[in-house]
Amino acid sequence: MTLQLGRHAFDDDATLMMAIVNRTPDSFYDRGATWAEDLAFDRVARVVEEGAEIVDIGGVKAGHGDPVDAAEEQHRVVGFVARVRASYPDLVISVDTWRAEVGRAACEAGADLLNDAWGGFDPGLAEVAAEFGAALVCAHTGGLAPRSTPHRVEYGDVVRDAVDSTVAQAERAVRVGVDPRSVLIDPAHDFGKTTFHSLELTRRLSEMTATGWPVLVSLSNKDFVGETLDLPVGGRLAGTLAVTALSALAGARVFRVHEVAPSRQVVDMVRSVAGWRLPARAVRGLA
Amino acid sequence: MTSPPAADAVVVPATPLLLPGNRSLRDPVAGVRAAAEGAVRWLARRHPERVVVLGAGADAVDRGRGVTRPASLRVARSLLAVAGFAGRVDEHAPPGEDLALGGGGLLVVADGTARRDPEAPGRLDPRAAGFDEAVETALRHGDVAALRGLDEALGRALLCSGVPALRALGSGVARPAAAHVDYAGHPFGVQYWVVRWSGRDGEDPAQDAGTRRP
Repeated sequence: MTLQLGRHAFDDDATLMMAIVNRTPDSFYDRGATWAEDLAFDRVARVVEEGAEIVDIGGVKAGHGDPVDAAEEQHRVVGFVARVRASYPDLVISVDTWRAEVGRAACEAGADLLNDAWGGFDPGLAEVAAEFGAALVCAHTGGLAPRSTPHRVEYGDVVRDAVDSTVAQAERAVRVGVDPRSVLIDPAHDFGKTTFHSLELTRRLSEMTATGWPVLVSLSNKDFVGETLDLPVGGRLAGTLAVTALSALAGARVFRVHEVAPSRQVVDMVRSVAGWRLPARAVRGLA
Repeated sequence: MTSPPAADAVVVPATPLLLPGNRSLRDPVAGVRAAAEGAVRWLARRHPERVVVLGAGADAVDRGRGVTRPASLRVARSLLAVAGFAGRVDEHAPPGEDLALGGGGLLVVADGTARRDPEAPGRLDPRAAGFDEAVETALRHGDVAALRGLDEALGRALLCSGVPALRALGSGVARPAAAHVDYAGHPFGVQYWVVRWSGRDGEDPAQDAGTRRP
């Protein structure tokens, strides 16, 4: 199915790189590297150069940290969205927020996509997406509240729970008026999950793609990679790319990433092996 | 011995890069493909009933690996399909003595040498350029005698798989009324040509729409 992300449409076989752009002083990976707005703007330029189709702008660190209220989140995000919109009319702008009021302000500033990474915690976000013709990511958190850490969380079947939860959110979004071509589902690795849950979701991702809803995966440098390989943040690229490859083979469509170029290469390579993408330019042995 | 008939003929490369199954996002032979498709369209338009294909047979090693149809014939069929040709196709790969043109158009799938530069499949052989030049001159001037006389042994040494088909072209038709080279080049160290011969007096293939230079 064609993917309609706000004002941008993509073919049904397109895979998209969603580059993470943090407007935070404390996110786990970049530790505030793009907290200064001009540095965040430089990162947008860099990821666009590397081929990212989407930037995912976030104003609140996902994990524990200083409280960030809605006013502060808007302050961090909305003006920046407007600046990026003005400079990059062809870029899909996503905003990573769980708050409907922030989503509304972001859409007014030009956002195309609301990345509801906290799984419908504020149901009003879907209505905002509908009102503005924006796209929506429906994520699985197992009911975890925003910015909280899972503790002894259990599932009878984590994949079943992720499918049921995200599909229910997607169907509700369509009922409140979001274009069905504009809804993605995300198993949300690490969110409300142990490492074993995230590994199982990766292993069985095809059960999510089989729902027919386009699947977004957010794997980049996450703890399940770090715990699996016993590597700190900063040493997780190979592990990230391994799970990126498996997710591509399972049919994921959107990849939320820190490192755009290697992720793009992995996804393109896997899709060519699968026979879903032509090689860029193959001459070897054929001249 | 009776004289061979005048005939329309087209020469295209046998490179498998022209096959749909070997497509890339960026076409490495866009210019060759455009010229070859244009020339075959020209031939198909003039001979909608029947086309005779001459090409190299499948290599013995490839046959041993289960290849049943030589690339030359698959390239010919692919180009004819692109041209929308729906008539009869007679295939000769490798070509025998008796062409039996019978009013059809001739589609010759043949390359030059594969030893034109140090990166070529057969590496550089200093004799390759002269060999290809002689073939190209013959194609450009419709010199059937020169094609007929191509040195098969030297051709083999220079990895010129097109020699038997080119010799058959030289034997099978009379000197054309006009000849036009649409493409000549060796982009990967392999010599390719796209050539049209018109068997009809007073016609110049170069003036006929349907091809463009790469």
